[in-house]
Amino acid sequence: MLLNRLVSIARCQTNINQLTGFFQKCKISSTPTALSKLEISKPLQVVNLNNENLDPVKNINDKIKSDEVGRLFAVIQLLGKQFKVTAGDVILVEGLWEPTNGDKLRLDKVLLAGSKDFSLIGRPILPIGLIDVQATIIEKSLSHTRTVFKKKRRKQYMRINFARMETTQIRINSIEITNLVDKDKTINDNREIY
Amino acid sequence: MVFTTFVNFIRSRGPDEFWRKRKIFKLAAHMYGRRRNCYSIAIRAVHKSLQHATLGRKFKKIHMRDLWTRRITAGAEQHGVSFIQFNEGLHKNKIQLNRKVLADLAVWEPATFESLARLGEELDNYGNIKE
Repeated sequence: MLLNRLVSIARCQTNINQLTGFFQKCKISSTPTALSKLEISKPLQVVNLNNENLDPVKNINDKIKSDEVGRLFAVIQLLGKQFKVTAGDVILVEGLWEPTNGDKLRLDKVLLAGSKDFSLIGRPILPIGLIDVQATIIEKSLSHTRTVFKKKRRKQYMRINFARMETTQIRINSIEITNLVDKDKTINDNREIY
Repeated sequence: MVFTTFVNFIRSRGPDEFWRKRKIFKLAAHMYGRRRNCYSIAIRAVHKSLQHATLGRKFKKIHMRDLWTRRITAGAEQHGVSFIQFNEGLHKNKIQLNRKVLADLAVWEPATFESLARLGEELDNYGNIKE
């Protein structure tokens, strides 16, 4: 008993500490925090792994201009799930979704894009128009049958249900950088993001 | 045979015994010993295995999350950052990559993962970029 109580008290203590810590942070921070709004344009932060004195942004932009980027990978969000993809991949998403066979899509929610030399990380997503991810719907079908079986012993309770989810197969056609990475200029577009 | 009274319909026990049992034996075909040959034992085993399958779908999600967390922890500790510090760095930057993707990056994209691990170092306690 006593031990249990001690544990619960200890837990409460940490909870309170965390709460107060959180509120303090909110008060002191100088920048207004707009959590409800998606903030896409923010100053760039650069992490330089090579420790050279080159300007990384200029370096990346030079590579984009001279087409030396190479094959890109990107992390995209679809139907609440995230996928790491490159050109040519096929991904399978589950759940009801409108697009039908042969539809071509541009996937806007790009959380991260990377090549062999650099990676661009979005907070939470990259500016729209920077990375262009093109995709095609290949196949719409149903998943295998899942049996949902419930039983309680000695209670005359038994239920059996069968479920099949709608699945969509998507081919990623291409991933390209279509704009320059810039410190001052952020690409602003008031489109809705899907 | 024709039932003239409705009560007899209720007493009839559905499909023929052979076909009723065959459904269960089909599901028990891969089992060992009497579980695959004797109906009364087979049906018990089949019910139990279906229950496990239903629950297993729930547990799979929990177990995968555990596995991803462990992979991210290992990846972060390579760069001298604990999982909590690593997570904090991401949150301050409003990076919303999930565990599945982070674990994937830790395994296949070490350079990207290193830069994610280093991100937290360059912020102060309030999430602003250090000058």
